[in-house]
Amino acid sequence: MTELTAPNVVASSTRSDRRRKFLQNLLRGERPYMLYIAFVILLVVFSLSSPWFLSLDNFLNIGRQTTLVSIIAVGMTFVIIARQIDLSVASTLALSGMAAALAMNQINNSWIVGAVAGLGTGALVGLLNGVLTTELSIPSFLVTLGSLSMARGLAMMVTNTKPVIITNESYFAIFGEGTFLGIPVPIAWTLVATIVGILLLHYNVFGRRIYAVGGNPTAALYSGINTKWVTTAAFVLTGALAGLAALVLSARSHAARPDVVQGMELDVIAAVILGGCSLFGGRGYILGTLFGSLIIGTLNNGLVLLGVSSPMQLVIKGAIIVAAVAFTKR
Amino acid sequence: MSGPVAAEPPPPTSLVMVNGISKRFGGVRALRDVNLEVRAGEVHALLGENGAGKSTLIKILSGVHTLDSGAIEIAGKPVAFDSPANSRDAGIAVVYQDLSLVESLSVADNLLLGREPRMRFGFVRKRELMAQAKAFLAELGIPLDTKVTVGSLPFAYRQMTEIAKALLGEVRLLILDEPTSSLTSDEVRILFDAIGKVTRRGVGVIYVTHRLNEVFEISQRVTVLRDGANAGTFVTAETDMKRLVNAIVGTDRLAPAASRAEPAAMRSFDSSPILSLSGVSNDRLHAVDLSVLKGEIHGLAGLIGSGRTEILETVFGLRPLESGACAIAGRRWLPKSPADAIDQGVALVPEDRHVQGLVLDHSIERNLTLSRIAYFSRWGWMQQRAAARRAEAAIVKLAVKAQGASSLVRTLSGGNQQKVVFGKWNDPRPRLLLLDEPTVGVDVGAREEIYGVIRNAVRDGTGVLLVSSDLAELIELCDRISVIVNGRVARTLMRGEIDDAEELHHLLQMYQASGQGVLQELPA
Repeated sequence: MTELTAPNVVASSTRSDRRRKFLQNLLRGERPYMLYIAFVILLVVFSLSSPWFLSLDNFLNIGRQTTLVSIIAVGMTFVIIARQIDLSVASTLALSGMAAALAMNQINNSWIVGAVAGLGTGALVGLLNGVLTTELSIPSFLVTLGSLSMARGLAMMVTNTKPVIITNESYFAIFGEGTFLGIPVPIAWTLVATIVGILLLHYNVFGRRIYAVGGNPTAALYSGINTKWVTTAAFVLTGALAGLAALVLSARSHAARPDVVQGMELDVIAAVILGGCSLFGGRGYILGTLFGSLIIGTLNNGLVLLGVSSPMQLVIKGAIIVAAVAFTKR
Repeated sequence: MSGPVAAEPPPPTSLVMVNGISKRFGGVRALRDVNLEVRAGEVHALLGENGAGKSTLIKILSGVHTLDSGAIEIAGKPVAFDSPANSRDAGIAVVYQDLSLVESLSVADNLLLGREPRMRFGFVRKRELMAQAKAFLAELGIPLDTKVTVGSLPFAYRQMTEIAKALLGEVRLLILDEPTSSLTSDEVRILFDAIGKVTRRGVGVIYVTHRLNEVFEISQRVTVLRDGANAGTFVTAETDMKRLVNAIVGTDRLAPAASRAEPAAMRSFDSSPILSLSGVSNDRLHAVDLSVLKGEIHGLAGLIGSGRTEILETVFGLRPLESGACAIAGRRWLPKSPADAIDQGVALVPEDRHVQGLVLDHSIERNLTLSRIAYFSRWGWMQQRAAARRAEAAIVKLAVKAQGASSLVRTLSGGNQQKVVFGKWNDPRPRLLLLDEPTVGVDVGAREEIYGVIRNAVRDGTGVLLVSSDLAELIELCDRISVIVNGRVARTLMRGEIDDAEELHHLLQMYQASGQGVLQELPA
């Protein structure tokens, strides 16, 4: 070895060092505090201005309303960190819901069939998005713009735009109306998706590869990472989570409708970006995404409670999103 | 050897005087009492290792940073810059390594970008723009076609466009930051001609470089910085390579470097080949026969585009092998992908560390782990502790100068970044190490350290295939050198068959000229 001394190297990590590192790991990112502070400010403002805001019921309400965005945003975090985008999630949700309801009604009204059909359809759309993006090297913006339209069209074609009624009681209980350890199941599913997301992204090999592919695809390839496979997997995950969101939505409304949640992909992307992901890839974390979703959900809820007219709500929401991103970006 | 500029002695009027400037970033003293004098019409080389303070000095002159103490005078008048625009108004223009041209626009459009001759409502007077650009280039004596799009030009000509752009308006001092780092030798010649034309107009030039031979070719004086302070100013004609290296590195560090240059010929190595290629062909290679023995450093010499990089890419599975056979440690193997190659114990340190080697915005630890993710996982879960420990160990072992394993790679100097790329393959030890220009843009000290890392690897039995444009580097390190011309191995030389870079250079030129190769044509 060279005889040169190794300067400035942190030899051993002290206790405070480790604590600092732990905090950093927990929060993942350069300036995540802004996000939490923004969330708290939002809570305080709404609590002070509306007597109905500060209650457990209302918070559960927010949680339930945020479910769909929060669940899909977990997958979108992977996609965006990998330097891609998925515009098709809302349409995928609609198509997956239709598939779940129709399959259940066809095959012995079993909730398992419904769940498999819903998740499978979502994953399949994700697979298609991923394969087209990586194998034909079409930008994912265009691929998913196409599948946004196609999935929505298919969802409407299968029943000629009519909703499909669901009658399975256990399906309702598991995905929409029951509770698990006292938590309403939609919120429980959000937590499951978030925890799985954290494990996958921050503790699993897959997460490391996602960061590398998004941070520098060429260096990732040169380091022996199958970048196509990794990118495709992120799309499949997002599609499957859109399928899960479809199960939750259809179980709550006792029916699958082909025209639901149009334009929700924008809320999902906004949540992920608010949560600190870089649109240029390589940077982001799941907990941030959860808070991003909560901020959007809280905004929707609080503005309604304040009696703000719905056109005005749109304006305020848009302005706050842009302002927040301007603040939190590097 | 007399460069195009040396013929004309500079008038001894002082153009820029930098008097005792200091600059501190937090706890780090980036510059301490630095002096620099540039005369009109002079090319003044600025040397120093990465981190010696060259960039800081340039950034102060260009108004990006403000100075803490000291003074700058231009033509005898004191100046103070608080913005780049300020410095530009005072007549200082900087050409950075990464060019700031719009590739899809023509040379003329680029030159006059933002100051196009216009009609009412902002419509551009196209003909006048072309005429202005042409007249300006003619005045400078730079042979560029104004109509060609910049993206289609070879690199040297893009650089010339950049220099011409910098010279528009009243410019007295031109600063060139490593302008030749990605140029071929023909292109360097073109650039030097252009610099000569500029200095003849009385413009002073500060020339930052890592290539010492260029200093002798183009500069009249040299200033060396070391650890943020002056380490000497020399008249180029009165000094030599050895004294400059001494000033750059400091005498204390040069001695061990010399002793480390143990002759490779004295090492005996196993004669079993780690890699053998026979008749390997694809779109860029034609029946390449080559072998790398256990513990051997095998060099590939050739011009850019000769196929030397492509040989490495083929072995690493980045380029399909269409016919011929490849064997690793005696077993036949067809490289299918980088992942496949890594499984076989092959490692690659690629040519462009920023694009191919590193994720700049991630930590050292993440980058070091990247190529060994599977190695640091159990059932798919990262062994974060083990990865972190290995990273700390690699930082110490490779003497990477950084705050710690969590520092972002972007914040490191070029040499230290390159050490991180080497560190990716450090443990477990690869059987075959492919190196593509391992010391480009790396300062003298770090270069010696990287040589140490390479020698260490072969001592442990790794075979090395080394591509380098630095012929002296090949001579110093290699046991065998193969000359690559047009995708073929033209000749393989044993150590001892050739002694110095000069000789190798002539040999390369000879093979190239003997019809086996076509020299790159440059537009006039």
